[in-house]
Amino acid sequence: MTPFWTVVPFLLYLLLIAALPLFWGHFWEPHRNKLLVAGVLAIPVVVYLLGFHPDGAALLFDSAREYVAFLALLAALFVISGGVYVRGSFAGSPAVNTGFLALGAVLASLIGTTGASALLIRPLLRANEHRPRSRHIVVFFIFIVANGGGLLTPLGDPPLYLGFLRGVPFTWTLHLAAQWAFVNGVLLVIFALFDGYVSRREPIRTQRGGAPDAPEPQQPLRLEGTLNLVWLLGVVATVFVVGTYGRHWLASQTARAAVQIAAMAVLSALSLASTPRRIHEANRFSLAPIQEVAVVFVGIFITMVPALLFLAERGASLGITRPWQFFWASGALSSVLDNAPTYLTFASLATGVASGGGQVLSVNDLGALAAHPIGHQLLTAVSCGSVFMGAITYIGNGPNFMVKAIAEQHHVRMPSFFGYTLWSFAILVPLFAVVALVFF
Amino acid sequence: MDILICLEGSVSSASAIGVALAIARSIRASLVGLAIVDEPDIVAGAATSIGGASYRKDRDTALLEDAHARAREWLEGFIALGRAAGVSVRTLELVGRPAETILQEMQQHDVLLFGRDVNFRFETQEHDNYTRDRILRRAGKPIIIVPENPAPAGSGVMIMYDGSTAATRALRSFAASGLARARRIHVATVDDDGSNAFEIARQGCHLLRSEFGIVAEPENVVSAESIADALLARRAKLDAGMIVLGGYIPSPLARLVWGSVTHAILQSTVVPVFLHY
Repeated sequence: MTPFWTVVPFLLYLLLIAALPLFWGHFWEPHRNKLLVAGVLAIPVVVYLLGFHPDGAALLFDSAREYVAFLALLAALFVISGGVYVRGSFAGSPAVNTGFLALGAVLASLIGTTGASALLIRPLLRANEHRPRSRHIVVFFIFIVANGGGLLTPLGDPPLYLGFLRGVPFTWTLHLAAQWAFVNGVLLVIFALFDGYVSRREPIRTQRGGAPDAPEPQQPLRLEGTLNLVWLLGVVATVFVVGTYGRHWLASQTARAAVQIAAMAVLSALSLASTPRRIHEANRFSLAPIQEVAVVFVGIFITMVPALLFLAERGASLGITRPWQFFWASGALSSVLDNAPTYLTFASLATGVASGGGQVLSVNDLGALAAHPIGHQLLTAVSCGSVFMGAITYIGNGPNFMVKAIAEQHHVRMPSFFGYTLWSFAILVPLFAVVALVFF
Repeated sequence: MDILICLEGSVSSASAIGVALAIARSIRASLVGLAIVDEPDIVAGAATSIGGASYRKDRDTALLEDAHARAREWLEGFIALGRAAGVSVRTLELVGRPAETILQEMQQHDVLLFGRDVNFRFETQEHDNYTRDRILRRAGKPIIIVPENPAPAGSGVMIMYDGSTAATRALRSFAASGLARARRIHVATVDDDGSNAFEIARQGCHLLRSEFGIVAEPENVVSAESIADALLARRAKLDAGMIVLGGYIPSPLARLVWGSVTHAILQSTVVPVFLHY
């Protein structure tokens, strides 16, 4: 049995990731210090796994492989979506804004919540530049495009991709279409009504003389860097084909991962080489965010190994056994910690709960969990909780803070951390209560 | 006299500049324009999601550059307005938390002047009542608060006087500032007993005459309205272009519980208010 103390570094690391930027921002800024924190917390875990666990070396190797595959996909989606630029503007009316957010909800599942957010936030901000009140538009953008929209495919949100890497079939997430449509549909309706209300109460901007402002000339919307859409199709095709048919061609999981990683690297390189510099400049594209993800996730992937084993072994005894409990518990933690490791934590717990009656599920094969009658329900709840509730705070999911920062650069005064949380408690939490009642 | 005026790009700030230039011309005062870059609030630590640090850095850099650019723009505009009005002006650009920066800098000057609805934390906040209230609570020197688009009014001044230490300090401070020069001065007191109110107002007038040689007229105010509303109504009747009061701005919680005449007057006034606490 895995001892409890081996879980402590993982918990501590997740807490430090959330707290250090707030209280000790200058220390946390250099990657060297992030690696230092990760290293200090990883040492006891590595010592335990290599010295005291019979499969420790193999588990560490699996985790390393998973880390590289995870990062390769995130980097590919990040690089490729950073090569597409939406030029021009549109009228930021409530109806058009709603349509744009709906488009974002679909795109989020195709190019990931980070990619869709990076691609769409600037055109949306430009379209609403003339409006004195636009923070609610950005808040709903975070709810829908940066989070809720990413539920339909493993490409949509990092937690789902981690599940895919551990054996959840590529098309399994399509079973979540009802939850995806319900949450995003309700949010779009609330947004349309709210934006309409705000828009009617906005003062008409006038020139100094008192005459209404002439409408600003609008350039038609135009997509630049469209070659990247081909590379994007390549990513989708690679992940789908390797994930669905790869077992028939390559028995070794490591070989399959290597093919996938190589394909992601090639597609990223093709995107970087084929994208004109002006597009990257217009998108303010830089590799810094993905470098930070790479550095921080080193610690996560090492420290989470014993934590996942611990939960899988003791799942049934921890008191969380029902789908609605998994939905709320995984969601609550996803809202304050990063949702990717939280997903794996609760998926591991679910394997412990669902194992029984002679069937032993493995934390390393979540495909079996997805195929299990109870495991399917639990994994559905964990997936929905982790993806949807990443929207509750700015730190729940990677793109949330990115969207906030870009909006502030465009002079949208975004709510504070707690101000934003009030928005999500007023809108999202009641909605999730309905989701729990209807689906779990 | 040396007046420190806090600059910011709002209509409220533009109104304050107009009043400052008019005062400077009338009493030959010099003006010091202060623009503040609120760097501590812009770069304050914040919880960021994984991958968010570089966006945070870009955002901080962009907001700081914007704040400096705006500060320069306001200071240059202020210099141009001062030259056009024939008033001696100097400028200052300081980096720091607005309330603390202003409280420290105002010690070098005779009077502080700013717009009632200015937002010194414009890069991060929608409104900034915090800075205004903190200055009003902590300042040991006279302050002139200018409402947005002040109503046209006469050159008279209405001093609110109830005989208290605070009111006496404000009255003396106003008289010593030179702002009373060539103005018609009224000293107003509110009381349920009209004769008592008149007697207190008369004492205020006597103090002005005996200590500063300023002639003032006593005004007794008896009204069923709130003290603030009654005084504001009398100000309108007298067509006074400035109000002087020795009030105190309590904390928002205390205001909620006990109310505040000073706060009510500041919120509703349509003419500049000279305040000394």
